[in-house]
Amino acid sequence: MLLNILGVTCGYGASLVLKDASVQINSGDFVGIVGPNGSGKSTLLRTISRILQPFYGKVLLKGEDIYHIPVAEIAKKMAVLTQEPGLDFPFTAKDVVTMGRLPHIKRFARESARDVEAIARAMDLTDTAGLADRQVNELSGGEKQRVLLARALAQEPEILLLDEPTSYLDLNYQIEIMELLARLRREYGLTIVTVLHDLNLASRYCDYLVVVKQGSIHTVGTPRQVITVDTIKEVYGCEVRVEYPDSTGHPYIVFNDEPIGIAEEDGERRVHVVGGGGSGVVLLRNLLSRGWKVSTGVVNVGDSDWQEACRLGISIIEAPPFCSVGVNEIRQNKEMIQRADFIILAGIPFGTGNIKNLECVLEEAEKGSPVIVIDNIDICKRDYTGGKAAELYKCLLRSGVHTVNSEWQAIQLMKGDRENVVQR
Amino acid sequence: MIRNNFIKRSALFTLLLVFLLASLIAGVSIGAVSIPPSEVIRILFSHIPGFDSYLTAGLSPEHETIILTMRSPRVVLVALVGAGLALAGATFQGIFRNPMADPYVIGVSSGAALGAVISILVQSIGHIPFYFATPAFAFVFAVVTILVVYSLARVGGKAPVMTLLLAGIAVSSLLSALVSLCMFFSGNQLHQVVFWLMGGFSGRGWDYIYIFIPYGMVGATVIFIYARELNAMLLGEEPAQHLGVEVERVKRRLLIAAALLTGACVSVSGLIGFVGLVIPHIVRMLFGPDHRTLLPAAALIGAVFLLVADILARVVIAPSELPVGIVTALIGGPFFIYLLRRQKNSMF
Repeated sequence: MLLNILGVTCGYGASLVLKDASVQINSGDFVGIVGPNGSGKSTLLRTISRILQPFYGKVLLKGEDIYHIPVAEIAKKMAVLTQEPGLDFPFTAKDVVTMGRLPHIKRFARESARDVEAIARAMDLTDTAGLADRQVNELSGGEKQRVLLARALAQEPEILLLDEPTSYLDLNYQIEIMELLARLRREYGLTIVTVLHDLNLASRYCDYLVVVKQGSIHTVGTPRQVITVDTIKEVYGCEVRVEYPDSTGHPYIVFNDEPIGIAEEDGERRVHVVGGGGSGVVLLRNLLSRGWKVSTGVVNVGDSDWQEACRLGISIIEAPPFCSVGVNEIRQNKEMIQRADFIILAGIPFGTGNIKNLECVLEEAEKGSPVIVIDNIDICKRDYTGGKAAELYKCLLRSGVHTVNSEWQAIQLMKGDRENVVQR
Repeated sequence: MIRNNFIKRSALFTLLLVFLLASLIAGVSIGAVSIPPSEVIRILFSHIPGFDSYLTAGLSPEHETIILTMRSPRVVLVALVGAGLALAGATFQGIFRNPMADPYVIGVSSGAALGAVISILVQSIGHIPFYFATPAFAFVFAVVTILVVYSLARVGGKAPVMTLLLAGIAVSSLLSALVSLCMFFSGNQLHQVVFWLMGGFSGRGWDYIYIFIPYGMVGATVIFIYARELNAMLLGEEPAQHLGVEVERVKRRLLIAAALLTGACVSVSGLIGFVGLVIPHIVRMLFGPDHRTLLPAAALIGAVFLLVADILARVVIAPSELPVGIVTALIGGPFFIYLLRRQKNSMF
C-alpha cells in the first residue's frame, strides 16, 4: 500500500474539519475525492500533503509516518498541485519548472543531465515547452496551471496530489488535463489523488471515489458504486438522475427537470393553501421542498399562484379566469381541505370573486380543522367587498385558528407540530 | 530584463565590480582635502608587500594618514552597510512576498533606535562614556526586537507572514513611542539623538568595521545559503514545502540572519532609509526575481549606491556634512519613481 490514511482527525484551530477519516490508496490508483463545498475534501488533501498536521491519526507513506520523513524526501515521492496560482513573480516558465528539481539538486550544484532531461520531459508532457521563456505572471490561467503541473512532474514523483485541477479552466483544458493525468498513470504508473468538483469528470477518469460529507468519509468505491441517486441525495441533498449514456460504463449525472418536490409517499402529510394573486408563491415552493404534499385552491386560471402551482406540479382547484368561485369548485376545494392536515390562508385580497374561499375556510375552522392564518396585512386594506370580508375574517380569527405573521412562521409552526403532536 | 544569459549576466557583474572599485577610490579621494585617485592607488598599493619599494617615493605622509585612518575605514564601512541593508531588504521582501517590506519592516529599526537612545541618555546622565555603548545597545535591542516579534507571531509552531508583519507593526509603534518619550526627556542630548537617528558615517574608524564584520558576515552567509529556498518561497509557503523546503525552519533562520545583518548595519551607522527598500527593486528590474542573482547583485549595487550617497553627503555643504539618510532618500526617491513609471507593469 502506497498511502495509508489512518483515522485522521484534523482542523484549523479549535474547529474540526475532518473526523476520523481513513482511506487506503494503492500504487497506480487514480482516486477522486468528491463532496460538497466545505465538506473537507481539500482538508483531506492538505493532511496527506503534510501541510496540516492531524490532531489524531496519521498518514503513512509506504508504511512510514509522513512526519518522520524529511520534507525533501517526501518531495521526491509526492508532488502537489494546489488551487492557488501563486505565480505573481516574473520568473520564466522554465525557471518555475526547474524549481521542481529542487529536492533532487544539491545545494549550489548545477543541474545534471538527468535534471535537464526531467525538466524537458515534464514540459513536453504538459505542452509547455513553447512557454519556456515567457514570464509566468503574464500567462493565462490555463497556461499557469499547465506550468505548475510541469513543475510537479519535474519532481518525478510517484504520487501526484491535485486540488481541483480543472477549476477555472475551459472545457477543452479540463478534458486535456484529465486526459494527461490518465496518460501519466497509464505510461508512468503515477498514482493520482485529486479533489474534483465535477462528478461526471470524476466518474469518467477515476478508479475510486472517496465521498466526503461533513468532515467524514461517507463512501469509498468505484464510480458505479458511489454515483447513485441515493448517495447523491444523501450527500448533496438534491435529486438527480444517473444514466449510463455510453459503452464505457461510467455513470453520468443528469439534473432532474422534474419539480423540486419529493415523491409522494404513503403517510406523507398534506397541506392545503388558500391563496391567489402571488401570495402563495413562496409558500408553495418552500412547503414542497420540505416534503409536504401540497394542494391549492381555489385559484383562477392564469393567476400567478396558479402558474407557480402548475410549474411545481401541485394539485390545483381552479376556476376559469376572471370568474367568481363557483359551487362546484367550492365542493372540490372542501374535499381537498378535508384530506389536508393543515389549511393555510395566505394574506390575500378579497373581492366578490373569491370571498367564497374565505367562507369555506371559516366553515372548516369552526369544525375544528387546523387552520393557519397568515395575518401579514391588515384585513381592512385588502377588503374589496365593502366590509363583508372583514367581518368574516374577524369571525375566523376568533374561531381558534393559529395566527402567524409570515409564511416562514407558518412553516415553523407546522414543523413543530410534526415533531411534537401525535397523529390526530 | 536580463535572464538566462550567462554572458550578459557575467558582463553586468563585472561592470558592477568595476563601479564598486571606482566608487571606493572616489570615496577615498574626495573630501575636504582632495587627493588625486592616482595617489590614492599608490598609497594603498604601497601597503601591499612587494609593491612598497617603488611606489612610496614622493608620497605625502599627511595624505597617507588621512587615507588610512579616516577615509579608508569610512568608505569600507559605507560599502558594507550599503550591501548589508540591500541584502537584508531583498531577504525581507522575499520572505514576506511583499514589495513594501524593507530591513526595518518588523521593528528592527525601532528596537535599534531605542537601544541607541537609551545608551546616549544613560551615558550623559551618568557622565560615564562607554566605548561603543551606542552600537552595542542598538545591536542588542534590534536582535531582541526581532525575537520578540517572532515569538509573538508564532501560532502552533508556525509564524504566518501576515501575523509577523502585524506583530512587527505593533511592536514597532510601541518602541517608536518609547523613543519619542526618551527624546522628549533627553534635554541637551536631543541633538546627538536626532543625529544618530538620521544615520551617518562621520568619524567611523576601523573598529566599527570590526564590530560589523562578525554579525554581518554570519547574516549574509546564511542568506546566500538559502537563496534557492527564497525562490521557492516566492511561489508561496505551501508550494515551497511541497518542493521539499522546510519552510518554518528556513524562514526562522532567514529572519534571524537578516535581523543580525540589519542590526549590524544600524548599530554602526544609525537609521539609513531607502537603501533596503529600493535597491532590491532596482535589481529585480535589471536581473529578474531569481535570488541566486538578485542577492549578490543587490549587495553590490547597494554598496555602490551608498558610497555615492555618502560622497554627496560630504561634498554638498562641505566642510560640514549632511546625514547620509537624507541624501539616500533625495537621490533614491526620484530615481525609483522614474523606474516605476518606465516599468509600469508589476514591481515584483
